[in-house]
Amino acid sequence: MGNRITDHKVHIFVGMFGSGKTEAAINFSIRMRNIFDKVSIADIDIISPYFRTRDKAEFLENKDIKVILPPKIYLNADLPIISPAVGGYISNPEYKIILDVGGNDDGIMVIGSLNNFLQNADAAVYFVINTMRPFTDSEEKISSHIDRLSQKARINVNYLICNTNIVEQTSQGDLTLGEKMVMRVSQNKNIPVAFTMVNEDRKDLQTLNERFEIKRFMKTEW
Amino acid sequence: MSGKVMVKGTEAIAEAAIRAGCRLYFGYPITPQSELPEYMARRMPEKEVNGVFLQAESEVAAVNMIYGAACTGKRSLTSTSSPGFSLMQESMSYLAGAELPAVFVNVVRGGPGLGDIQPAQCDYFQATKGGGHGDYRLLVYGPESLQEAVELTVKAFDKADKYRNPVLLLADGLLGQMMEPVEFPDFSNLEKLEKHSSWALQGTELERKAHKVTSFNIDPVGLEKMNLNLQKKYAEMEKNEKMYEEYMMDDAEVVIVSYGTIGRIAKSVAKMARNKGIKAGVFRPITLWPFPYAELAKWAKKETKLFFTVEMSAGQMIEDVRLAVEGRCPVKFYGRMGGMVPTPTEIFDKLMELV
Repeated sequence: MGNRITDHKVHIFVGMFGSGKTEAAINFSIRMRNIFDKVSIADIDIISPYFRTRDKAEFLENKDIKVILPPKIYLNADLPIISPAVGGYISNPEYKIILDVGGNDDGIMVIGSLNNFLQNADAAVYFVINTMRPFTDSEEKISSHIDRLSQKARINVNYLICNTNIVEQTSQGDLTLGEKMVMRVSQNKNIPVAFTMVNEDRKDLQTLNERFEIKRFMKTEW
Repeated sequence: MSGKVMVKGTEAIAEAAIRAGCRLYFGYPITPQSELPEYMARRMPEKEVNGVFLQAESEVAAVNMIYGAACTGKRSLTSTSSPGFSLMQESMSYLAGAELPAVFVNVVRGGPGLGDIQPAQCDYFQATKGGGHGDYRLLVYGPESLQEAVELTVKAFDKADKYRNPVLLLADGLLGQMMEPVEFPDFSNLEKLEKHSSWALQGTELERKAHKVTSFNIDPVGLEKMNLNLQKKYAEMEKNEKMYEEYMMDDAEVVIVSYGTIGRIAKSVAKMARNKGIKAGVFRPITLWPFPYAELAKWAKKETKLFFTVEMSAGQMIEDVRLAVEGRCPVKFYGRMGGMVPTPTEIFDKLMELV
């Protein structure tokens, strides 16, 4: 992964519901911690009831990544809480910060509330796409979601991430088709593709874009 | 290339309902199933579907919209989670009494009361013994995976039509929220679905007497007759609709009985037990009503050392397991409540204590 990307101060992962934002954000924060001493990740997903960054907080803290969460007693509350510490870490020059944002229009709205902090920050916004999810299975749909979500959050998307997968059943054909779709969106909208996410145990899969190997954290225990 | 897509449980059920020919969805959001109405809100207006999504002002309104829609004989769906399903119970009884086909989804969360939003199986009694008043039954399915949820959703609509009876898909929050690859069936031909023209309210064109859909009869003789007919129908359902899965049961001496997500976890536990030399198998009821009593009773023989029921509840399905076993073998229980999901290791440890 080129230095240019990791050099940004703030990394914001957005996209449609279930596109793999949390997997991208967690894996990216681990990658960042390998390069930088002070890395934080903020769970500002206000819409997902399960499978969130907060569920892996202990694991990340053990890796010496600062995890910014709502107050503990509200962790499982169905309430849209954004910790005031998020703004603090965005302003803190010592820390790199990764923001794991909730999906769809409702999830991304919280970015607007951080507008004051983000305006002067060196922030990269990544739009995560799984072309095998409903509602993001065509170029037109993906483009229209990018437009709508950027408008909602008052931000521009700087990079696309291809996360085409149906977990362990992903075929080479699936992946290539997905990457090509994301690359066409990239060309039309003039937004570069940052990388393609591939499960670390899938050495057999070839990518057209830069490869970002990930470990899956949002999975069940059986 | 696979024909599979990556979906959440709630989305899988929603799309399966559309494929089954459902064009009428009424509902009210509640965690952990709000993605289901959200999916319907996006999908129903699409040209390919051309259906109706309506957000009701409450679960009480939603279930009565279902009552109205079902009176026309069209395939209709609502979904909710535990407290919302409680609110629907009065009308569930009315629907069953009026013999109306409709499909319900309860994505169960921790209770009682407002509880929390984490997964649970504590609504088994309500689902299988009747949460509303009167002698009625629902056909109840408990899927363990998203692919099975898709198949059972389609089946639910077919059976609702066949028996003119409400059918319930009972899923826990985990099944609703987890993501898996799923393959959907083709779209049903709407023209070929059961029309119900002999009883449904579809307009008389002034050419026939008006149909009447009701569960009301002031004559006790008449009402008993209506009840006897219902019971006859339920007996048919008991005879024809039982579904269950047996996993590594051939030589099993320990029978783990679990349904839904826990049924799936139980399979990992059985494998762990076999690695330790304990012959464990899993009996997984797929229809929770009718419960496969006779099929489970078959395993209550002298070689069987233990029936081990695992649920995310204080122990509800275990009553049906005991009814099947009839005291011939010991029946033990392990459960977690309040939205806690037991891990395979935790269940395995408990099993080791028991054997």
